[in-house]
Amino acid sequence: MSTAAVSLRDVSFSYPGAKAGVSGISLDIAPGELVVCIGPSGCGKTTVLRLIAGFLAPQAGSVRLDGVDVTAAGVRSRQCGIVFQSYALFPHMRVRDNVAYALRVRRVAPAERRRRADEMLELVGLAGLGDRLPAALSGGQQQRVALARALVFEPRALLLDEPLSALDAATRTTMRGEIRRIQKARHIAALLITHDQDEALSLADRIVVLREGRLVQDAPPQAIYDRPADAFVAGFLGRANLLDGEVVAPDAVRTAIGRLATAPHGRPQGARVQLLVRPERIEPVFPGALAGSDGDAAAGDNVFAARIVHDEFFGASRQLALAVGAGRLEIETTRRGAVEHVHVPRAAVQFLSTPP
Amino acid sequence: MIPRWVTAAYLLYLGIPIALLFVGSFGNLWLNTLLPTGATFKWYVEVASDPSFRRAFTTSLIVVVLVCACCVAIGLPLAYAVFRAPSPRVRALARMLYLLPVALPALVLAFGFILAFSSDVLPWLGSVWLLVAGHVVLGLPYFLQTVVADMQRLGLRALEEAAESLGGNAWQRFVDVVVPALRHSILSGLIVVAALSIGEFQFSNLIAGFLNRTYPVVLLQAFYGATGFACAATVLLLALALLASVAGALSAGGAARVAAANG
Repeated sequence: MSTAAVSLRDVSFSYPGAKAGVSGISLDIAPGELVVCIGPSGCGKTTVLRLIAGFLAPQAGSVRLDGVDVTAAGVRSRQCGIVFQSYALFPHMRVRDNVAYALRVRRVAPAERRRRADEMLELVGLAGLGDRLPAALSGGQQQRVALARALVFEPRALLLDEPLSALDAATRTTMRGEIRRIQKARHIAALLITHDQDEALSLADRIVVLREGRLVQDAPPQAIYDRPADAFVAGFLGRANLLDGEVVAPDAVRTAIGRLATAPHGRPQGARVQLLVRPERIEPVFPGALAGSDGDAAAGDNVFAARIVHDEFFGASRQLALAVGAGRLEIETTRRGAVEHVHVPRAAVQFLSTPP
Repeated sequence: MIPRWVTAAYLLYLGIPIALLFVGSFGNLWLNTLLPTGATFKWYVEVASDPSFRRAFTTSLIVVVLVCACCVAIGLPLAYAVFRAPSPRVRALARMLYLLPVALPALVLAFGFILAFSSDVLPWLGSVWLLVAGHVVLGLPYFLQTVVADMQRLGLRALEEAAESLGGNAWQRFVDVVVPALRHSILSGLIVVAALSIGEFQFSNLIAGFLNRTYPVVLLQAFYGATGFACAATVLLLALALLASVAGALSAGGAARVAAANG
């Protein structure tokens, strides 16, 4: 197995006089891998980035880059390319000089650094804009310059601190793809910080979820979405119906919306459990579909009467909030029309670890 | 409509005294009439050939250059320290402290200086350096205010971190990034400081020694003599202030261009 490009072992850091910080973070990023670190604001995700970059020194644990322990090393010797949230482009330097700055301080000859800067500008799709000042570029273009500047000196890792948060929605989607394309083209280990779940799910090779300074889950996007570690992760990545309940049979749980049949779960009678049902897995049952079956299959197979509380139309899909029994369900459907019953397939019901 | 009139009236109010000075400086005789009679250039020649005015002019130029240099040398590190202060409370306190001299009448400062520097221990009253020191105290708040605000606006911290992550050492970060990025605010801060130093009268009048009186101090004497002479001398002060500002602007701009060209 090759050494990880970035490796954190039991890293802890707390800001003096403040509760915020991180504790016991272990994380590996392989060369060419894009890891997205996500969490609510104040969860410590930017702290993780600053610990890797060397702006902060951990109070415990170790940081390795390419297998070399850099825990005590300064920012400059770590050689991480960083894309800042504000881009932090040097306002007085032309785009090419911005990109070439790392080469300039490394005393690369002017002709060579010009060639390499222009090469990077071409990679990020800004060929020919090298003579502009940053202020003359759009937000997306500035972002590309920041990316080129962070990559030109062949850093050991690429660290991106909420790189897309300052962009408008359309540019953000484009840049998402661009960041991934460029990162893959350079085959560099990358850590991207975000609080945007779409960004995390669509960009990442692996997602790391942070909450209150602790690493809650570290898994590929699909695994995180399909098998969230707990209710927090389930609710943070994607929309979720979280149902508290009590086991009433080896394959059923009583919840606020009614008795819910599940796959055999092997939990003892009377145990308190928390269930997750993703909104898009719940199927609306339209008037007439139940006719003839007289409801018997329905009653046994998780069909519930529902009343629409809230109905939002998004074009491709529709999101409904439904009152079901004494509880509520959110569903997402592509179908139009009234919804009077919903069907919750057994396979869509997941058990989360014991509720907090 | 009304705002436009108010603006026009205000501009007139501002402009008339200056215009009258101009007219007066070229007028041969100006006694109790609205405008002077006869046109002449002699007042300028007289001011230019007056040894005390020539000396004061030179002193003012020397003082303004030294004051600007001191403001940069003291103000830049100070502004940086305030900007990088760890807590917002410390920053607010520092801001209050450095803005305090604005509320301080120059007269009070001058009396303080006289008390402090007429003793045998610190017998520096009358030296150019004391004059410079006083002007720095009076001008520094404006310089700091402009530069600190610009540091915050630019996000200087992130710029420095970017430069550091790209491999720049402390000196390179300062020369390549901090100073050129701040060039506009350093410049506009210095223009204010220069204008203040050149026009400063209250403090200079009490502190300056007889041989290093600044231009405004000597100018006061002119108003006891011929009106035309006084007008010409004042117009020269105006020109001097403008010149200092423009020179400051050009030199700072030039320095920034040199720094950028090295990039």
